Amino acid sequence: MKKTKIIFMAIILSLSNIAEVISKEKNTDDILYQKLISELRCMVCQNQNLSESEAPLAIDLKNKVMEMIKDGKSEEYIKNYLSERYSSFILYKPPFVFQNSILWFAPYLFLIIITYLLFRRYLK
Amino acid sequence: MKLNFPIIFFLILVVILFFGLFTNTKVIQSPLIGKNLPNFTLTTLRSGQAISKDDLTKEPILLNVWASWCLACIKEHSILKSIQSNNHIKIIGINYKDERSDAIGWLNIYGDPYKYNLYDVNGEFAIDLGVYGVPETFLVDQNGLIRAKHVGELTEEIYSKKLLPMIKKINEKN
Repeated sequence: MKKTKIIFMAIILSLSNIAEVISKEKNTDDILYQKLISELRCMVCQNQNLSESEAPLAIDLKNKVMEMIKDGKSEEYIKNYLSERYSSFILYKPPFVFQNSILWFAPYLFLIIITYLLFRRYLK
Repeated sequence: MKLNFPIIFFLILVVILFFGLFTNTKVIQSPLIGKNLPNFTLTTLRSGQAISKDDLTKEPILLNVWASWCLACIKEHSILKSIQSNNHIKIIGINYKDERSDAIGWLNIYGDPYKYNLYDVNGEFAIDLGVYGVPETFLVDQNGLIRAKHVGELTEEIYSKKLLPMIKKINEKN
């Protein structure tokens, strides 16, 4: 009687463990999915992200993102996949490239120029 | 000179931002230009015959993405018909997220300038092509390279000023 009880409990414990592993996996997928669709632009309604948009193309792209996550593709892969087709405009956080380098450096440049303009009389 | 520098700087900024007002942010340069047409396997709209990328004949084509629910496609259609009747280039249609019967009915009403149509019911090939606003038109050369893309309604002006010179150039080289 005691033996069967122990076996029974062991089975239940292992089952709950499996369930936990599955839900964890699902959870990380879900977090990645939410992150991606909030960082990707809806190409039809250009000032919304995918998660806000219900445009047919946005729904298709959300499904595509979900499908790729389920296939085990990485965040990097999915972003690359979409920007290869829709240009990096689809990313709300644009990659650092030569054409937009001025946007990344301008604030520091301004800081230096303005500091110089303000303090140049002391430098003399 | 001391005083002028900030003013000159300000004026340059004004000029740059002023021209920024007139740039069209809706049109996004496709990263696919100069790349190979993505692989696909689709069926034709009318006969349901399976067609893949390798079945495309080795000649320049216009790929036109359209749908029966798309109003701009009706406006654009007369230009496609005149391109076809002038025999400049073959047009292959990609019927996007449509019902077969609706699409065939639409072609019966408005005329059929297409060599044939590929039926992309769930828009998967369209995602590979980066389609975001139907109608869209791609110029693909005989080697399967995408040479140009136009998003939105094709107009006589865009065709004759942008696409036709490119088509002539491609044909001359052959």
